[in-house]
Amino acid sequence: MTQSNELYEAILSGNAKKARAATEAELAAGAVPMDLIQQCMVPAMDEVGRLFEAEEYFVPELLLSGRAMKSALELLKPLLSASGQKMAVRVVIGTVMGDLHDIGKNIVASMLEGSGFEVIDLGTDVSPAKFVAAVEDRKPHVVCMSALLTVTMPAMKLTMDALNTAGLRTQVKVLIGGAPVTMQYAKEIGADGYSENANGAVGLVKSLLAGA
Amino acid sequence: MTGRDRILAVLEGREPDHLACMPITMMFAADILGASYRQYVSDHRVMADAQIKTAEMFGFDYVSTISDPAREASDLGAAIQWFDDQPPAIIEENALFADKSTLSAAKAPGSIFGGRMQDRLSGIELLRERAGKDLFVEGWVEGPCAEGADLRGLNRLMTDFTDDPEFVNELFEYTVGVAKEFAAVQIKAGADIIGIGDAAASLVGPRIYNEFVWPREKELVDHIHACGGRVRLHICGNTKRILDGMGALGCEIVDIDYPVPMDQARPRTGQQQTLAGNLNPVGEVRNGTPETILRALEALLQQAGPRWIVAAGCEIVRDTRHENVRALVNFARSHTSMSEPHCVAH
Repeated sequence: MTQSNELYEAILSGNAKKARAATEAELAAGAVPMDLIQQCMVPAMDEVGRLFEAEEYFVPELLLSGRAMKSALELLKPLLSASGQKMAVRVVIGTVMGDLHDIGKNIVASMLEGSGFEVIDLGTDVSPAKFVAAVEDRKPHVVCMSALLTVTMPAMKLTMDALNTAGLRTQVKVLIGGAPVTMQYAKEIGADGYSENANGAVGLVKSLLAGA
Repeated sequence: MTGRDRILAVLEGREPDHLACMPITMMFAADILGASYRQYVSDHRVMADAQIKTAEMFGFDYVSTISDPAREASDLGAAIQWFDDQPPAIIEENALFADKSTLSAAKAPGSIFGGRMQDRLSGIELLRERAGKDLFVEGWVEGPCAEGADLRGLNRLMTDFTDDPEFVNELFEYTVGVAKEFAAVQIKAGADIIGIGDAAASLVGPRIYNEFVWPREKELVDHIHACGGRVRLHICGNTKRILDGMGALGCEIVDIDYPVPMDQARPRTGQQQTLAGNLNPVGEVRNGTPETILRALEALLQQAGPRWIVAAGCEIVRDTRHENVRALVNFARSHTSMSEPHCVAH
């Protein structure tokens, strides 16, 4: 088995130690960091997403694979920075104000990172002002908002309004998701898209940016 | 028949006068009363008033003391964030057992009846006294997996299954102990049925569910039965891959949430299992019309067959139009398990 297969398998099986060791070995053998991301990590996480959608992987497997992927990425990020390379797409993600649920948001963040995007995770209970500040400071291409309660969904509209008021709305694509969220609500508040699952969110980000 | 008699008939395999109706209401009920949700979850008298008013207004067959996932966790000393008008939330970052070593020093399950758990007991007593002759009274406990997530942090627990299965077993031994004690006193207080809310179980898949969760749920169900109680199992979310296990627990009622097609739930849980559900609370009940709800219920009746209770898959959300909630009850009142379909939703 080649080393790059080992990295792929380590991420797929959720083994962070092996993922890190395989990455170290690859780098020692002269592998290019961005190649490892695009040729091993992204395909591995794509497969994880497919298995999740097929109901063969579940939340534990997803989180373990995400953790394995991140352990490899930790070794690669400094090398990318040093060579001036950046991930092509930057995403800000957070659970909206008043909502502390984060498992869905964490899964989406993991899948986006595994797709080779730079992800800035603002955490939970994120106020509209904090979303706006993140857009101003980090200039993402996409903002993803999550809510798990119907009572916290209005914060999505407040955040959209805040982005409009700050003159930032046209600079980002906004996607929303979470158990009570619907496509209808996304249209109502002027979001660019809605996804009912993590895999869908990744696909949606890619298609929105391709059409941008 | 009273609502209580109707539900008992369903559970005992007798034909009721018409279908029973047991939608879950929490924030919706608080809004009906005009109380804040903080009042509802903090004061059993407000909860009882809200549940009775809602049940009488719409014609439900039961009242419930379900409220939020943080009741037991609060009394155990977990860090909780309170809100004026939404459920209290557990602060996962500071979860009680974020440090695994704290489990060994945790309060013994039988010794933790603090304010919030006592409040539920008082709620059951009050509901029993005021409405128990006509309405089924439902108590509630967090299931072993859900309580484990509440106390350890959901994200941590999900990786613990692989990283430290021994710890998970110890954790679930603790949480099922808490649930058994709490269920027992609720039965003594007069609860006709105990709801077990185990939402986290829908996230783990069949391998982990069968190894870690099912044995503890079974232990809890058996204990509730031994105490003379009945069980309503409520696992929110997509439970397609664990339906067989859910049907094998011996619960009097198994709730089915909307992501699971009822025509899969019925054969997998067994023909004798009473099922409740499974309209989409947002997509169908809140956003639908009485006509679309009727069509959806007609289809569910055909798919679920006898031993089915009209309900949404999960909580009726606040802001749901009253005519839509009435549609559920109107359907129940005008149909029996033998009813022919008038129209079937495609």
